[in-house]
Amino acid sequence: MFLIFVIFTIAVGLYMAWNIGANDAANSMATSYGSGVLTLKQIIVIASILEFVGAVLYGKKVTHTIAKGIVPIESIDPHLVALGALSAILSASLWITVSTYYHLPVSTTHSVVGAMVGFGLAAVSQNYIEITDINWGILYRIVLSWILSPIVGAMVAFLIFTIIRLSLLVRFDVSSVEHVFKYLQILTACYMAFSHGSNDVANATGPMAASLGYIGAETPIWVLVIGGLGISVGIATWGYKVIEMVGKRITELTPTRGFSAEFATASTVLFASSIGMPISTTHTLVGSVLGVGFAGGLASVDLSVVKRILASWFLTVPVAAGLSIVLYTLMVVFV
Amino acid sequence: MKFVRSVTDVFGYSPFEDLHRHAELCGKAVEKLIEQFQASINNEIEKIKELEREIDSMEYQADIIKHEIRGHVTKSLLMPVDRHDLLHFLKMQDSIIDHCEHVAHMLAYRQIKVDHEIWNLINELLPKIQKTVNEYEKLVDHIKRLIASSFSKKEIMESLEHVPVVEELEHQCDKVQIKIHREIFNSDPKNALELLLLNEIVVKLGEIANSTARAADAFRSMILGR
Repeated sequence: MFLIFVIFTIAVGLYMAWNIGANDAANSMATSYGSGVLTLKQIIVIASILEFVGAVLYGKKVTHTIAKGIVPIESIDPHLVALGALSAILSASLWITVSTYYHLPVSTTHSVVGAMVGFGLAAVSQNYIEITDINWGILYRIVLSWILSPIVGAMVAFLIFTIIRLSLLVRFDVSSVEHVFKYLQILTACYMAFSHGSNDVANATGPMAASLGYIGAETPIWVLVIGGLGISVGIATWGYKVIEMVGKRITELTPTRGFSAEFATASTVLFASSIGMPISTTHTLVGSVLGVGFAGGLASVDLSVVKRILASWFLTVPVAAGLSIVLYTLMVVFV
Repeated sequence: MKFVRSVTDVFGYSPFEDLHRHAELCGKAVEKLIEQFQASINNEIEKIKELEREIDSMEYQADIIKHEIRGHVTKSLLMPVDRHDLLHFLKMQDSIIDHCEHVAHMLAYRQIKVDHEIWNLINELLPKIQKTVNEYEKLVDHIKRLIASSFSKKEIMESLEHVPVVEELEHQCDKVQIKIHREIFNSDPKNALELLLLNEIVVKLGEIANSTARAADAFRSMILGR
């Protein structure tokens, strides 16, 4: 019985990983397609390989944060943890599917974190743990990282593009500068895929690891392999369409602009992965693009996107948490 | 496409390509207007009417572009130039084609038979107006390069070199325009109605050159006001 829930959690986690590959990874890679640096095929190959490598080699810390950083799963019966992890991944996946259908700029990270908090609160309501047992300190740090990551992305992108502008664009022929950056942008595309894999994989593998009861420092490598594979399959089976669609609409992101935005995003995300903070790559990328816009690099950026993203934060966390509470309670009652 | 979450919302509407298209329409309308004058001198009534329709439709297209730009340039957009400067520039540029359309209609009101001297002077004015507008188009052509270089000083300087040239050409138009008015008011008043109409036409022709110079000035303010 217990095993069925674990297998089910892995299956839903795989769907989540597929979703991350299909949408989030695709968005991150579309900037390279938009500037015409890489062909669609090349992007799919680069993204699939490097997302996988990033997930497997560097995805452990963030996975660990989501698996046991928020809810103290050591203090709860492993059977209940399996139910909680399943309800968390199910509710996050459901919410992501609904929001994707309605084109909402919702983050998978926020959904999973919200859902894990929901599981924690449900466990509190059933007196398995105290409310103070939930690791609020880490939760505050996570929320702070959500606020800081787009800001840092914007600042780094602003700085990089300003340096490029002052040292290259004003001195040399614009088209030759852009040509050189075409090659540099291949590197940042790889960097982006690697760092994205390292952070976002945890949205799928975090609940899987919790469910498996591997509560020590170790997260089995095969969990990350499953997550990485899911992302790669997501890119290859659906993400390429998203890359094509997004890429065609962002052609004004020339190689110098694309490089600045990608480098800033990838560095911010990789730093977050190194300290185990689950952040939204998409929101960081939006921040970085705005940074390039603030530096005068784009003909027009729409600041109203910030409002929509903020609204999605306030919607996602309670919805995912609420769904998770409902699903967990139902499972506990009926199983 | 369903089942997509994307970052494309962050990329706002860029008005610069539309501004460029609008400027091109102004240039084309002036070209057609000069053709219409030749038709008027040669008494080709059908051609005059046909060109009137063509210029009218160009003005309509330009209006659509203008409304498109005004409707999309919202406060939430962050552009490398000030929003108000941009809208002011658009207004100035739009008056070029507006005046063209007025002249096109006036030429079709009735056949104008006046002395050769007056037509000769008008034939002296028309190429000057076209030159002014062509120089202006060269200025607006710089928009793409200005954005690509993220408004580098070099590009700004290169583009703004056209502004004093436009102003000088407009001044030359003024001089010929005054000569025409003098000629009109010193000619035989037997066909006073036609003279009056032609005088109005010349005033509006002068306005085309004036609007072009004002639009060039607004372009300069927009670029330097960053």
